[in-house]
Amino acid sequence: MQTLLEKAFVEPFQRLAEQLAAVVPALVSLVVILLVGGALAYATRRLVQRLLQMVRFDQFVAESGLAGTIERARLFRSPSDFGARLAQGAVWVFVILFALMAMPSEMTQSLVVRFVNYIPDLLAAALVLLLGTIISKFLARSTLLAAVNAQWPAARLIAGTVRVLVMLLAVVMALEQLRIGQSALLLTFAILFGGIVLAAAIAFGYGARDLAREWLQTKLRSREQETEETFHHL
Amino acid sequence: MPQRLRASPGKETVENFLPSHLIERLAQIGEADIVVGIPSYNNARTIGHVVRACSAGLAKYFPHRRSVLINSDGGSKDGTPEVVLRTELEAESLLLVAPQRLHPIQRISTAYHGVPGKGSAFRTIFAVARQLNAKACIVVDADLRSIAPHWMDLLASPILDREFDFIAPYYLRHKYDGTITNGIIYPMTRALFGKRVRQPIGGDFGFSGRLAARYLEKNVWETDVARFGIDIWMTLTAIAEGFRIGQSYLGAKLHDAKDPGADLTSMFRQVVGSMFGLLETYEEIWKNVHSSEPVPMFGLPFDVGVEPIHVNVERMIKAYCQGVRDLQEIYAQVLEQETREGLLACSRLSPTEFRMPDELWVHVVYEFAAAYHRRKLDRQHLMESLVPLYLGRTASFVLEVQEADAAQVEERIEQLCAVFEAEKPYLRKHWGVEAGKESSHANPA
Repeated sequence: MQTLLEKAFVEPFQRLAEQLAAVVPALVSLVVILLVGGALAYATRRLVQRLLQMVRFDQFVAESGLAGTIERARLFRSPSDFGARLAQGAVWVFVILFALMAMPSEMTQSLVVRFVNYIPDLLAAALVLLLGTIISKFLARSTLLAAVNAQWPAARLIAGTVRVLVMLLAVVMALEQLRIGQSALLLTFAILFGGIVLAAAIAFGYGARDLAREWLQTKLRSREQETEETFHHL
Repeated sequence: MPQRLRASPGKETVENFLPSHLIERLAQIGEADIVVGIPSYNNARTIGHVVRACSAGLAKYFPHRRSVLINSDGGSKDGTPEVVLRTELEAESLLLVAPQRLHPIQRISTAYHGVPGKGSAFRTIFAVARQLNAKACIVVDADLRSIAPHWMDLLASPILDREFDFIAPYYLRHKYDGTITNGIIYPMTRALFGKRVRQPIGGDFGFSGRLAARYLEKNVWETDVARFGIDIWMTLTAIAEGFRIGQSYLGAKLHDAKDPGADLTSMFRQVVGSMFGLLETYEEIWKNVHSSEPVPMFGLPFDVGVEPIHVNVERMIKAYCQGVRDLQEIYAQVLEQETREGLLACSRLSPTEFRMPDELWVHVVYEFAAAYHRRKLDRQHLMESLVPLYLGRTASFVLEVQEADAAQVEERIEQLCAVFEAEKPYLRKHWGVEAGKESSHANPA
């Protein structure tokens, strides 16, 4: 009778107690890590925001033309707020990884190791995309201004094409960095890029030959007219 | 080979951008009263006339002064330096007198060092003036066809005899000529710095040795000041730093005929961008100027004929309309809603009725100046986006004055200046949005 009682009640309780003894410290440390990590992430956000404001990051982003993109997203108050929240997010990712490492499970630990190994690629891809966005906006605006001041009729179309092509290149580079469909992507990009250039050439030279002729004539005419002008601006 | 050498006692170190052969030549010359500088780049066709006029002027008006004529060349491929050195004065036939000089006019041609541009050429001339301890320095363009010997007298005498520091030119020009001067630079110089210098970017100036030395102290030689921005920079620096300013009547200004439409964008960016940059440098000066005053004028004004000018108004209006249509996103970052609506309304007018009101144009310029200061956009892009609006304003001005004579045109420019002066609080308002935060970051020249 006593053996039955032990087998039926005491042993399960003992096993539960043993398991709890093994898990509870991990859970407690998880909670502590998350609480401390949350505070750390918040402090990081405030600190980064202060630092970005000190180095006039908002002004720099406004000059690069990215401020409009951030404002249009309507998620962040300013570029420095965006940067600060990005830093907060990064701290949170590390806190969660650290917390998962505290769990006594092989699966979570292997997951964390794989994720950590992937972080450099993720960061590189994010950087490529960020640079791609900045460069594409800057080049598109330079092209637009040059085209408008040269009085090219399709100035916006040209600038838009420049922007799309540069972004396309950045996306392909980022995906390659993430090792997603490397050869297929490269092939697709080459075909797409070549196709766009070829299509543009055919459209301009054949499909829109009247427009091409008219445009060239206008260009030549305006060059002649410019040289006819004899006044000095200064 | 550029090098740094010790100069004679009492002088500072020789500028490290001067080539060694020039330093040796300057050491041989010792000192000079007047330095005449001619910046050049492929001006072989016209520079001979400029050298002759300058030499004749120095011989006639300053026979007892030690004079040096220096050509600061940007690497001409057409033999410009050779023309400078071999041009004969022919003083007797030019001046109808035998030359009676105590000191011969020294003539030097040297390649300048630094960013290619007029400003870098001037920097070498300033350095030569300082090295020679010159009392007066004159700079004239190498492509002038209307320069005459008496220009030397008018540009140097106020400095040598009346203790002026800066003499700007005063020319008679065709009513359509000098549109950046008439539409932006002169009205802003006058409204913001309070001095009515009619040709602040004339290019032919006289200035004292001490002002040349002051110019050299500034760290601006990697900016647009090293290019076409030099003229406005010299004028505004002289005004803002309290040097004694005057202007001399030189008659007509006729240039060598070059393609004036070529590279308007970069020229505009360099000149107007330099002016906007100077508003930051001298913010505390212009904010405390509340009216304008004439500056002393030398020389006898006389009427001259000016060459006819062809202007393609239709092309300018087209450029303006395209700018207003295609650059909307940029203008939305820079201009007020009301200003943008005004520009849009102008773009809907027919070419014959096309006009841009003075007040609208002044608001455009002031809002761009404030945007430049507040770095709302990349500065190069900002200045380039102003070009179509400038062409629109120029077209409007040409249409407005096509039947007017010279006096009426001058009156019309005066009206525009009055609007620039009256609307100065508008600039203060836009400039000052973040002024408390930003004034301490003003870029010192």
